[in-house]
Amino acid sequence: MRPRLAGLGIGLVFGIVLSWSGMTSPEVIRSALLFEDSYLFLFFASAVATAAIGLQLLRRGQRVAWTTERPARRHIVGSLVFGVGWGVSDACPGPIATQIGQGIGWGLWTLAGVVIGVYLFLRHSEETEPATDPVPVPG
Amino acid sequence: MLNPQLAWYVAGPLLGLCVIACRLLFNARLGVTGGYSAIVDRVRHGELSFDWRGWFVIGVLFGGTVFALAAGGPDFHGYGWLTESLDHALVGPVLLGAGVLIGYGAKLAGGCTSGNGLSGTSMLSPASLAATATFFATAIAVSFSTEAVF
Repeated sequence: MRPRLAGLGIGLVFGIVLSWSGMTSPEVIRSALLFEDSYLFLFFASAVATAAIGLQLLRRGQRVAWTTERPARRHIVGSLVFGVGWGVSDACPGPIATQIGQGIGWGLWTLAGVVIGVYLFLRHSEETEPATDPVPVPG
Repeated sequence: MLNPQLAWYVAGPLLGLCVIACRLLFNARLGVTGGYSAIVDRVRHGELSFDWRGWFVIGVLFGGTVFALAAGGPDFHGYGWLTESLDHALVGPVLLGAGVLIGYGAKLAGGCTSGNGLSGTSMLSPASLAATATFFATAIAVSFSTEAVF
């Protein structure tokens, strides 16, 4: 399958599910972060559990490979900064895109900020996230 | 909300399958910030050709459109606590500032709620587990603080 088309297709499913689960709505996110509603946590945990099982099966079948990192200062500092932005806007990168897709104009402000933030980072650092993880030579 | 929320035990596993599909097809982490970053990086170099990650984000955006068309409109009005508590003229600039923190912070941390939160934790990456615990704790603290002040 063509990678770009596949990426677009997975994105469509991801965006529809994010919307249908209410993650596009800042009120839903906020009620979760204030512990008024357990949906987000159950949703998130079941997503991670499903993905973890699937990834382990793929890895055992030796179809894929990845390496993991130890926590470093940047993971903590970056997540503190990210968490402030998320807690204020009640939107993270996926829901910002689905807000705009749903025609919610407020999302354009947040998106403009994300683009500036990503640009500021890329200006002083090289791209850190590879499009594909390196696969070690078998054997 | 104009239509009922999809049950968490259906929605969660569907997102998990998206993570698995990215690993199977691209041997890569699913990450929305990676998509924005791929687009910003290309445009910065004067190009308009994106790899799968850029197209993934475009798909997420249009996923929102498909949902809104099927549901007969967006699933909320106003903008949560911000439009309830602040002068509307301030909400845009506040969202812009929050967006800068989201974009820069996610890049620094090597992922956002999807890249570290969903994909990294399901890979059992210690860095992603630390990042996820940190941003959840921070966002919860910010929410309780703003709830108390405004």
